[in-house]
Amino acid sequence: MSSRRSRSRRSSNSSRITEEQIVELVSKLQDLLPEARSRTSDSASASMVLQDTCNYIRDLQQEVDDLSERLTDLLATTDMTSAQAAIIRSLLM
Amino acid sequence: MASIPSSSSSPSPSQPKARKKPGQTTSPPPPPQTKWRTGTQERLYSRRLVDALQATRDRAQPPESVGSRAVKEAADSALAMTARGQSRWSRAILFNRNSCRKRVLVKAGGKIRRHRRKHQAIPPAMEGAGATSGVLKERKVKERLKKLGRIVPGCKKLPAATLLEEAADYVAALEMQVRTMRVLAEALSAAAVSVPEEEEMEIAEQGS
Repeated sequence: MSSRRSRSRRSSNSSRITEEQIVELVSKLQDLLPEARSRTSDSASASMVLQDTCNYIRDLQQEVDDLSERLTDLLATTDMTSAQAAIIRSLLM
Repeated sequence: MASIPSSSSSPSPSQPKARKKPGQTTSPPPPPQTKWRTGTQERLYSRRLVDALQATRDRAQPPESVGSRAVKEAADSALAMTARGQSRWSRAILFNRNSCRKRVLVKAGGKIRRHRRKHQAIPPAMEGAGATSGVLKERKVKERLKKLGRIVPGCKKLPAATLLEEAADYVAALEMQVRTMRVLAEALSAAAVSVPEEEEMEIAEQGS
């Protein structure tokens, strides 16, 4: 990397360094996504990975919304103290 | 500085504990899935979540009408706190909760970010406007990066590399949040089911 930094052109210089980094980060992100685990391609285009990431994050946020609605209903009906024992038991398992 | 530090303070012997040094950017952080899937993190978060939910319930007006939005905000705040403010999105969540004056905080955050950029050895990717090389300068990719920046809290104007790191961390954290909330919901609903069952059994015993 130091040899590349010694080149005179600043703009192409910075884009080359960060492009490597970015490709690596994109592949790291791809590993996190559930779709990527079923596919075995490791040269997925960056735009597709980004699209999948956006969709996945949106889905996850939607799930959080649904779960918090569910928890709201549950909270209203259950008594916290008796439920806490159940929670701690299930969490420690 | 923008690189995610290599370990949270939870004791996990498999992760190396490297200290942050200004100017050193090549220390490899643990992948987000490792960081967010340790049992310790899950237990930490679940305890925080339960506390936050209880606090929300107590704080709610006496009819105990807790809105689902309040629950979600409590869950997100608990998640952000479990991240210990090591990632931008967690800081953004916490700052936005505590104050309505977003402008002031964004300006302060912007100043801090600009100051910290000087310590980075690697310049941000979006600076070179004239470069046409590489897959990253395609219009599609840029659009999707922007979209991603809007979804992840507090990441609207980040350079591509930082945004990708934040997104990876955010995805892993969200997965943990979903897992934990689901476990909690299952536990609560199981507890709720068992109580009426006991009542039914009592009634049956009295009847026979």
